[in-house]
Amino acid sequence: MNSEFYKKLVDLYAGRELPSELEDQMEMAAFNDQELSHDMSTLRRTVDMVHAEPAPEFTEESYQRILIRLYASGIDPQPKSPIPSHFQYQLPIQG
Amino acid sequence: MVSKRAKAGVILSLRASIRSVRSSFPMPNDALRDTLAEKRWLHALSEGDPAALGAIYEIYGERIFRYTFRMLGNRSDAEDATAETFLRVLRRSAELRADGAFRTWLFRIARNLCIDKMRQHKLMELPPDAQYAGAEEQSTLRVTVQQALNDLPVEYREPLIFCDLEEMSAQEAADLLRISVPALKSRLYRGRRALRDKLGSLIERTT
Repeated sequence: MNSEFYKKLVDLYAGRELPSELEDQMEMAAFNDQELSHDMSTLRRTVDMVHAEPAPEFTEESYQRILIRLYASGIDPQPKSPIPSHFQYQLPIQG
Repeated sequence: MVSKRAKAGVILSLRASIRSVRSSFPMPNDALRDTLAEKRWLHALSEGDPAALGAIYEIYGERIFRYTFRMLGNRSDAEDATAETFLRVLRRSAELRADGAFRTWLFRIARNLCIDKMRQHKLMELPPDAQYAGAEEQSTLRVTVQQALNDLPVEYREPLIFCDLEEMSAQEAADLLRISVPALKSRLYRGRRALRDKLGSLIERTT
């Protein structure tokens, strides 16, 4: 098999971008090929570990410090709800 | 015969239940409402209303902070870069367009700031914040993944941040980086392989 094509298939397998039938075929092929099996499993594990990486926490302190920096630059951003006021209230149902 | 007062009580409790269900589960039109709200704020900002910056910060502040933190590796610089991103948005508000391109434009501003900061302070040499809590082994694992990510060349790290961590589409990430989708995917796949090589024995142990 062309090595570039082989690498591309493993890349797609690692990112779970292959259709399930092709994924099954890859796993069957890897059963008898230790190098392929190692490449597939380690790369998929890497992708899974990146996906499992927790997001940095946007703390209240960070939120406030950023606002203070904006104020310090002479801007009054007036933090408010992301929803304009006329979207916040619902009129009573008539009838 | 049910009294009027009892009927009113039932109606009130039903309304309260509906309200609580509504607040627990996003309704189908919430996304549309949010998009409309964002467009209105962007329109206000493009007309030079600085008060609208607060609303835009409420909508995008956390995402920009997360991105800058991942690029720069520490909280203080991420806060600086996030604040500067929104200041630039205000300064360049005449260029604003209230369409899907806004998010790409906003992230591009943040990206340029991060790259400038990395060039100025060589931040890639600094250790990341030890911000990950949890079991000791799990925490060590995460710090190691974070460090390995920080050690990657920027051209590999960015596609990983956008596609694998921020879950952007390949098209959006490619637009942001001003490259084609195949070029983005090529960098993403190379980045994953480079990260695996950096993690080395850790991957072997957990496989």
